[in-house]
Order: sequence, then structure tokens, then C-alpha cells
Amino acid sequence: MQRTSRLKRELHLLTTEPPPGIMCWQNTNRMDDLRAQILGGADTPYEKGVFSLEVVVPERYPFEPPKIRFLTPIYHPNIDSAGRICLDVLRLPPKGAWRPSLNISTLLTSIQLLMSEPNPDDPLMADISSEYKYNKDVFIQNAKQWTEKYASQQNRASITPDEEVTQSEASTLKESAISQKRKGNVASRKGKKPCLDS
Amino acid sequence: MESSDSNDKGTIDHSEAQRRSQLDRLEREEAFYHFVNNLNEEDYRLMRDNNLLGTPGEITEEELMRRLHQVKEGPPQQNGDENRGAEATEDVSNRDSIIDWLNSVRQTGNTTRSGQRGNQSWRAVSRTNPNSGDFRFSLEINVNRNNGNPNPEAENEPPVEPSNGEDLENSQSDTETPRSESPSVRQPGSDRSTSEELVTEEESPLRGQRRARSRSPEQRRTRARTDRSRSPINPASETPRRSPNNMPSQTLDHSLVNESEGSSRTRQHVTLRQHMTTTEMASENAVLFSTPETRPAPPALGSPETNGSSESAAPGQRPPTIVLDLQVRRVRPGEYRQRDSIANRTRSRSQTPNNTVTYESERGGLRRTFSRSERAGVRTYVSTIRIPIRRIINTGFNETTSVAIQTILRQIMTGFGELNYYMYSDGDTDPSGPVPSQNVDAPEVQSGGDSGSTSSRSENTEGSSGEVYESSNEGGSASARREGRNARGSVTFEESGSLPFLSLAQFFLLNEDDDDQPRGLTKEQIDNLAWRNFGESDALKTCSVCITEYTEGNKLRKLPCSHEYHVHCIDRWLSENSTCPICRRAVLASGNRESVV
Repeated sequence: MQRTSRLKRELHLLTTEPPPGIMCWQNTNRMDDLRAQILGGADTPYEKGVFSLEVVVPERYPFEPPKIRFLTPIYHPNIDSAGRICLDVLRLPPKGAWRPSLNISTLLTSIQLLMSEPNPDDPLMADISSEYKYNKDVFIQNAKQWTEKYASQQNRASITPDEEVTQSEASTLKESAISQKRKGNVASRKGKKPCLDS
Repeated sequence: MESSDSNDKGTIDHSEAQRRSQLDRLEREEAFYHFVNNLNEEDYRLMRDNNLLGTPGEITEEELMRRLHQVKEGPPQQNGDENRGAEATEDVSNRDSIIDWLNSVRQTGNTTRSGQRGNQSWRAVSRTNPNSGDFRFSLEINVNRNNGNPNPEAENEPPVEPSNGEDLENSQSDTETPRSESPSVRQPGSDRSTSEELVTEEESPLRGQRRARSRSPEQRRTRARTDRSRSPINPASETPRRSPNNMPSQTLDHSLVNESEGSSRTRQHVTLRQHMTTTEMASENAVLFSTPETRPAPPALGSPETNGSSESAAPGQRPPTIVLDLQVRRVRPGEYRQRDSIANRTRSRSQTPNNTVTYESERGGLRRTFSRSERAGVRTYVSTIRIPIRRIINTGFNETTSVAIQTILRQIMTGFGELNYYMYSDGDTDPSGPVPSQNVDAPEVQSGGDSGSTSSRSENTEGSSGEVYESSNEGGSASARREGRNARGSVTFEESGSLPFLSLAQFFLLNEDDDDQPRGLTKEQIDNLAWRNFGESDALKTCSVCITEYTEGNKLRKLPCSHEYHVHCIDRWLSENSTCPICRRAVLASGNRESVV
């Protein structure tokens, strides 16, 4: 209901007391279109990476969860090539666990946690998931590679968030070979995916 | 990092405007809270149950006041109409948006929409009666046809005029389903095929055919109207309606006769109505689906060979119109029986019913009745489906019954799609089309004068010369409305008036893959939760739904788990969900209840 006033408060809090490793701000002037950044956690393959996310706040927020997706490519069992995230708090009950007492800040924290603790039993990316389960070394290596390639901080130290997005998209194109592979997998599993929201 | 700078991007003007609009919105939100805080419990419920509160920040306090007064003044049944104006939205969009619109109906209750695409324009109206749970939705599509039909000849039936522009009208009132006694059935070949087709989709057409009596009041009324309007035109033929096949010859004759009567104007009218009702004892819920299509008869369409007069007569210019009418309402358990008796009486009184044919079939616990009647050049198709909704609830959606329902609903939608097809193809050339509309034939042709006298409905059509458009009759539906019985235990259905029905339909029609619709509490269940005013002394200060501190006079609702929220915040959540937003404990779980502080 109180979407506007609530968002205002949330944004204020996010600006003044952001959770560690997380930032969130308005994209352009729209209150319902936010951008966020999550720093890869230490001791994870995403360490030193900076991951951009898009947060779209629906009209019915907070009775509906915000739609959040990764803009930066990330190699993760629960995040697909379009950046969609398989996470229960991002979905409405009864399947999901969203509730109005959660907020953007807690969601981003949950996503941060998901990055460090993938859930291979509820995979969005089957191949990555099995790699994570049975071939963890390879997984870690791949994830690190992706992090370096797409999310490395050196590349983006001097760019603004928006350009960052553009850039990461551009690099996505460059790496279309990899993306294609992932996409193919996604497509082949269509219909079975336990969680494909959005 | 450099994050927050991005706020400043954008032109100054733009941000200025943005800020202003946000400020406005904030102001309205404040006003909303103010308004809600000042409502007494009764008024609050009234507003909430009628979907008048809207979204904070969107409606001004004055508007809220106005709505409140309206609700208080007018009988609840009229809310729909009143609200319609207030919430009407104009929108231009393509056909897909109709679906969106349908979705939105669920939230807003009453809407009107229209749009245009290419050579067709559509207008959709929905009304919800929060008290009775009736929901009504009608959609009308107009097509401007530039020229005649491509190949009129395609139609084989000689007498039958290929109705390229058929006039389908959906009027509930048209429907009459007297027992099979109703003698004359005219079936032009094409017609026959349609009806058969409809029936067959479901099952054996013949089975139980004449069982059907008109059970709904509308139908009754209709008949009355019919009598009134009965047009001189069609003598009832004695053919047993049962076998459609027999009729053709007769039909042809009739049609010929009609034609010979020399109608300058051709008028074809077909109504297809799908009626779904629930008869299950405890929860009597009826879902009415009517998909009537209306098209103005294309005059010259042409088959010169077939109709001499008709061809010339028909105002080819009439834009075809298609009307889709969907009705969802609740039915009381005993209702049908009563209706039956009434229907019988009526029938016996007037022995010459409109030519009516009825088929009834039963499968998987669903009873489907199909009937066709014809009078005054207006042909009406009625299809009634009764679904034991209780069963659906209890057994879940995977059960066979629901599958059957799904199938039916899909058929309905398919039928609708067919209309589209016709619209585009512009021709009724397809003889086997599932849609009855196609079949409209020569027999129905009447002279302009006759048609005028026939039925009010038809008059409308005719009168507007080409602007054929008929919306379903309010009267019938309104009268049909019944107080919903309590379906205790079926939480989903009880919830918030008509919405469950809509979501049922919606579920099947639009979201069949999405089975995770949230289940909420009923109004009664919500109202049973404790409620109090915020006092200074309270420790917990913030509503975690809106993240706003409570202020003096705020109304709070306390869930069994002791968590409190603004009444308007938590009510909205609970109408779709059943757990506490903080602890996720089920609000209704027995034993959780704690005494209110």
C-alpha cells in the first residue's frame, strides 16, 4: 500500500546504513527502478567482484516482492544467464517466502548469502549445479573466471553504475559463446525448472 | 561506491516534475491514512469490501469521501454501476491487453476499457457486485469490414446464406430452454453442423437432450420477452429437435419462405452462451460463461443464388460485432429446483415455445446442457455447464473433474478465438467452424419491418443501422443473482466476494500453468481478528508492512501471534495470504489464539 512512503524510507535507510557489501540507489529519478551492487564475499569465487543488480519495485509492493535480477553475468547454480535468481524470498507464498516485513535491504542480503552458499538442490542452471555438486574445483575455477571477466573491480573502478551495466552487457556479447552454452541448457530444461519466476 | 550520485541524473525539469508528483503522492497517502483513521469500523469494512479504498496515494481524500457516501446511500447492488464510472479507464491497446484487463478486474472490481487495433475496436466492461459475488464481464468487438466476403460461395448450403457478416448477439434473455417439446427447430444445414459440433465437443449430443428445462430466471424472463416479441416469421416446425439431421429440409423451406417474405434486410442473430453452474450442495457457486457473438448480417453477402431478397437487402455495411459475455455468480442450492418448476409452468402455459432444441450430456460430474432456440430471426445458443465447485476445492486442481473443466473453459476460449478468426477471415466460409455464429443462415432472414417488431434487442440492432451491438441484458443477470451460500471450510471461495470466482476462471483460462495463487483469509476471518486503537503507551511503534510509526488514533490489528499492524496494511496482506508477515505463523492455526491485550 504505502509504496511510496515505504520506498522513501527504505531508500533513506539504504543510503545511510547500507548492509555491509551492499549498495542500492535509484536509477534515474524513478523510485521504483533501483540499482544495487553486491560485493563478492571473501572466500567465495566471487571475491573482489562487484555485481550489479536491477531492482524493480512493483505497484503492489510491499504486498508483492520486488523483482531483482543480476545485470552482471555470474556463474552460479541458482542464477541464470538472464540474471534471474532462484530464491524463495523473491516469490510470493505459498511457493515463495516473501512477506511485507522483508525489504529491499534484507533481500539483497539474502542474495549476498545465496552467492556464498549456492543451493544446488534447487538449481536454475543444471549444469553449473552438478558441477558445483560433483566437481567443485572446476566450478570454483569457472566462477572465478567469470568474476574476473565480468565483475572485476579494476575494469569498473572509474565508471558510473550505468555505464557499468552497458559495459557488462557488451562483454556479454563478446562472450556469447559461453552464454550460448548456458542458454541452451536453460532452454532444454524448460518446464522442469523448480523456480523460474519473473 | 559512487552510487547515490545517480539520483541527480536526468534533466532538472524532469526531476522537478518527478519530485512534485512524488510529493503529491505522499500528500495523498497522508490523506489516505487520515481518512482511514477516521473511519469507524463499519465504514472501514464497507469501503474495504467494496474495493473502494484503492491504493494509498492514488486517490484523494475527497474521492474517498465521495465513495463512502455513495456506498452508504445506494444499495450495495448498485455499487457496481456507480463505481464503474469512477474507476473507468480508457485505454488503447491491442487484444492482449484484454487479458491484462481481465486480470486487473480482479483487483479493481469494476472497469471499462476500450481499445482499437487495425480495423477493429473493442470495449470491455466489467462489474462486480461485492455483496453477492456476482461478476459480470462483457466484451464487444467491432470490426469494420471494408468489403464483402471473399467467397460467399464457399458455403454449401443453398438456402443458407453465407453470413459473412453475421450478427451475433448475446443476450441472455434470448435463451429459452423449454423442454424438448418445443417443436420446431429450424436447422439449416450449416446450423445443424454447428450445434452438433458444440455438443459433440462435450460428448454425445443426443444423450439427455431434452432434459433441460430452463432453470435460470433470466431464461424465464427471456421467454416472456420472447413471447412478446415473437415474430410472426417462424412457424414452429414439428420436427423433433432431437435429430438435427432431419431438419435440414424443413429448415430450408422455412428459410426460403422467410426470404420470400422479402426482407430487405437480413438479420442474423446467434447467441452462444455458456453457462456454468455449480450444484454441489454445500457450496453453490455458479459460473456463467457466455460467449455470444454478434455480427450483423452481411447483406449482400452474397450468395445470389441462394437468397434472392436477402442478398439485396442486407446492409452490407454493417460492421460486425462480437460480444463476449461472461457472468459469474453464486447460486443457492435449492435454486435450481425452483426454477425448474417455474420453467415448467411457463412452458406449459405457452405451448408454442420458440423453436428450441436442447441437448444434455453428463461427464465426469459435469453436466452440460446445450440448447438452441430460434425466434424472430434470432437464433440463440445456450450452453450450460454445471460444475461442482466444492469438488474442485477439495480435491485440488489436478483431479479429472478439473481437467474436464479446463477443457470446457478452453473450448469456450477457443470459441472466442474462433470469432477472431472469423473477424479476420471475414468469411463464414468455413462450414465446420465450431462457432455457431457461422451457421446463421438465410432462414433467419427477415424483412426489415418484421425484425423491428420482433424483439427489443433486435430493434436495437436494427435501429442503429449497422451499429449492431447488444450488450447482455442487465435485468436477467441481476435477477439471477442470489445470495451465495456459505461454503464453510472452503476458504478460498469464501474469500472476498466474487474474487474467488474470477480467479477460478482466471486460473483456468489465463494462468493454467501458474498454480501458486496465494490463498488468503476470508473477510469474516479477518474481521474476527482483534482490533484496537493505538495508544501512547504501546511499546511497539512501527508497522512492519509500511514501515511507518504508529500514531495516535491508528487502528491496529493484532494477529494471534501477537504481531500488530495497521488494519489496512494487514488486511490487504491477509486477503491474499494466511501467514503473519513477521513470523510466518499461520494466522488461522488453532491454538495460536491469544487473548487480546
